[in-house]
Amino acid sequence: MSDAAILTEQLTRKFGELTAVDRVDLRVTAGQFFGFLGPNGAGKSTTIKMLTGLLTPTAGRMQLLGIDFSRHPIDIKRQIGVVPEGMGLFERLTGAEYLTFVGRMYGLDKSTTKQRCEELLDFMQLADRPKTMIADYSHGMQKKLALAAAVIHGPRILFLDEPFEGVDALAAGALKALLARMTERGATIFLTSHVLEIVERLCSHVAIIDKGKLVAQGSLEELRAGVPSAEGRTTTLEEIFLSIVGQGGAERPNVEELSWLM
Amino acid sequence: MADVVRLPGLFEQIWLVAGLRWRILRNNMKNKNRVWDVIGVVISSVVGIVFVAGIAMLVFVGTVAFLNDRHEARFGLLFWGFFLWWQVLPIFVAGFSPSFSFRSLLRFPLKFSAFYSIGIAYGLADSAALASLVWLVTMIVATMITRISVVPVMILASALFVAVNVTLERLIGSWLEKILAKRKAREIFLALFVLFIVGVQFIGPAVQKYGKSPRPDLAKIIRYARPSPPSLAGEMIAGAAAGDSATAGIGAAGLAGFAALLGGLLFFRYRDQFRGEELSETVAPARAAAKSVASVREVAGPELRLLPVTVAAVLGKEFRYLFRNGFVATALLFPPLLVLLFSMQFGGAHPTTKRAISPDLFFPGMMAYLTLILMAPSFNSFAYEGRGMQTYFMLPVRFRDILMAKNLVTLAILTGEIAFCIALLKWRVGLPPSPVFFATICALIFAVTGQLTIANWSSLKFPKKMEFGKMQGNRQSGMAVLVAFGSQLVFATTCGLVLFVGRIGSNPWLPMEIFLCLAAAAVAGYIAALDPLTKLAEEKKESILDALMK
Repeated sequence: MSDAAILTEQLTRKFGELTAVDRVDLRVTAGQFFGFLGPNGAGKSTTIKMLTGLLTPTAGRMQLLGIDFSRHPIDIKRQIGVVPEGMGLFERLTGAEYLTFVGRMYGLDKSTTKQRCEELLDFMQLADRPKTMIADYSHGMQKKLALAAAVIHGPRILFLDEPFEGVDALAAGALKALLARMTERGATIFLTSHVLEIVERLCSHVAIIDKGKLVAQGSLEELRAGVPSAEGRTTTLEEIFLSIVGQGGAERPNVEELSWLM
Repeated sequence: MADVVRLPGLFEQIWLVAGLRWRILRNNMKNKNRVWDVIGVVISSVVGIVFVAGIAMLVFVGTVAFLNDRHEARFGLLFWGFFLWWQVLPIFVAGFSPSFSFRSLLRFPLKFSAFYSIGIAYGLADSAALASLVWLVTMIVATMITRISVVPVMILASALFVAVNVTLERLIGSWLEKILAKRKAREIFLALFVLFIVGVQFIGPAVQKYGKSPRPDLAKIIRYARPSPPSLAGEMIAGAAAGDSATAGIGAAGLAGFAALLGGLLFFRYRDQFRGEELSETVAPARAAAKSVASVREVAGPELRLLPVTVAAVLGKEFRYLFRNGFVATALLFPPLLVLLFSMQFGGAHPTTKRAISPDLFFPGMMAYLTLILMAPSFNSFAYEGRGMQTYFMLPVRFRDILMAKNLVTLAILTGEIAFCIALLKWRVGLPPSPVFFATICALIFAVTGQLTIANWSSLKFPKKMEFGKMQGNRQSGMAVLVAFGSQLVFATTCGLVLFVGRIGSNPWLPMEIFLCLAAAAVAGYIAALDPLTKLAEEKKESILDALMK
């Protein structure tokens, strides 16, 4: 039990009649690069919001780093970093101002904040526009800044909701390297992405959620073992995903119905 | 080859776009949270119709009178009224936020001629244009009834006048769209607008003071405006009515010239749009990263050792937001301006009794009014946070620290503004006797601290998003306004009663003593409320984020 960075028991969230997350039991071991997958509207973002304190669960329990979230939310928030859906940036600050603000809010002293802020802006290639407000950043630049803010205090768990969306290939490479180094050093990374190739390349463990229910969880090898594959060929994550979520493609829209399309 | 059999005709395209706009409006109204919007639209439509009908009646009566009394030259005044209405109203209505952009139609296979025509059609469908058209038609109908011989010239003048106005309005609109695409320009525009509105308030006192002296200058200005479209339209009718075909001809040629010139300029402007004009100001992704160590050092700001780090961080952020919000920053000018305005109007002599209002009434009244306007934003204090609100809930910080930082900013602004206004009042009206002065200051402490507690509650309970540099659609939270109004009424009544007790009692210092006790109670209440408010923020975080991140 003690090596679990993230542990949920019967985690549930309802919005009126709709059960967005239904009795989810997640277990993410410390140091894992964990991919959380699901189709649109499956409950991925709702789960991340609950795990990061942005949403209160309707039922169930959450423990992060062995600490009960409902009892010690501040202690947990000190040790996690989040890039939420929508990024949560103060758009009328410059990148440097925002990072300085976040660093200070995490309790970093002034000189450490300043140093990390410079290094992160440089690493994220955001340093050449010191006077530009976040509102005027492109989507990709905002994403990079949100990621910089999420790691400025050296979190032990990093939650990333679609971190590579809108980020150019050059920056994405640098981000992947940064995340890989964080896991090497013992940090746990919990990410959602629709780009299954990225998840397959980065993550050692994966969970799949569909219609609010957790339908698969384990290492990539364990998931592959459950899906039949052509001889001599490794099953891709996309095939695993489609076989679990789409029941072998039964739920996929039939393109032949659009016969008039070129 | 795509399966396009034929392109829709011009009228079909206009009809399709009109249908699209109607559906957007209808779907917005269907939203159950927009009940008040629907009521607002209904009320404003009724008021608008009554207004247009009322002006139409005046135009009818005026036209009949001008023609019967042989004062045809005065038609120029009517045209000037229509002209200003047509050109100025759309700027204020659409200037603050992008409305439906018909430029977005460019993604469809549209010919330039259709694009140009749809632009003009939209100009004629504008509310200001529709009202002006109603008034012009009224003028023509009145002319038909009064003097049929002038009708052809009236129709020609009106048609040319419409052509000039619609092209000019579209031209100004498209330039405004280009200029206001820049966030900074939008904010400056809004600040100028607010200053203009405040400046208008000074016209009354200025006219009272300087009386008749500006009239000769005004006459000169009107003379110089003769070659303008409204004056030319007026001269055209006056000339025709007097049988002076040369004057009428010059008027018609002038108007036609204006229409051609503006139509040509609009052609070039629309051509740029048609060819694909980039208005976005979003920066391109950084290519070469140049270190900006200095910039990071600059943003760190001064160390506020007396405050907890988190409170100091939020305080710094709040001040940055304050001075980057053109509207709110401009609003800081209001208190001293209002002191000047009210001291000009009431400081010397009361307009009805002609007796001077004494400082011991004027000073507390003015302080109460300043508190009212300066405290108002605190009742929806998260309005401008936008998506940043998520950050507050992600960070390891108690919400009381955030509330305290926001309240400290309010207190700093109040202290600075009120100190400056007291100096202004001393100059303009004089200060009241010491017991009234100090009682008022203690009353301020009581009222401000008490209201801050309620304002914090209101901000968490009834948050509503507002956007920088935007006026249209930027309405305050209705409930927050009600709470603010109610609490200000309670505090003002309490303070008024206490001050009244001081006036009728034998001890002039009694109000100050009472206010000191009330202020102590208010401070204790404020501190005691911080933890329950933190709990409330946690309970309400979903609705807060939902309201502010829309």
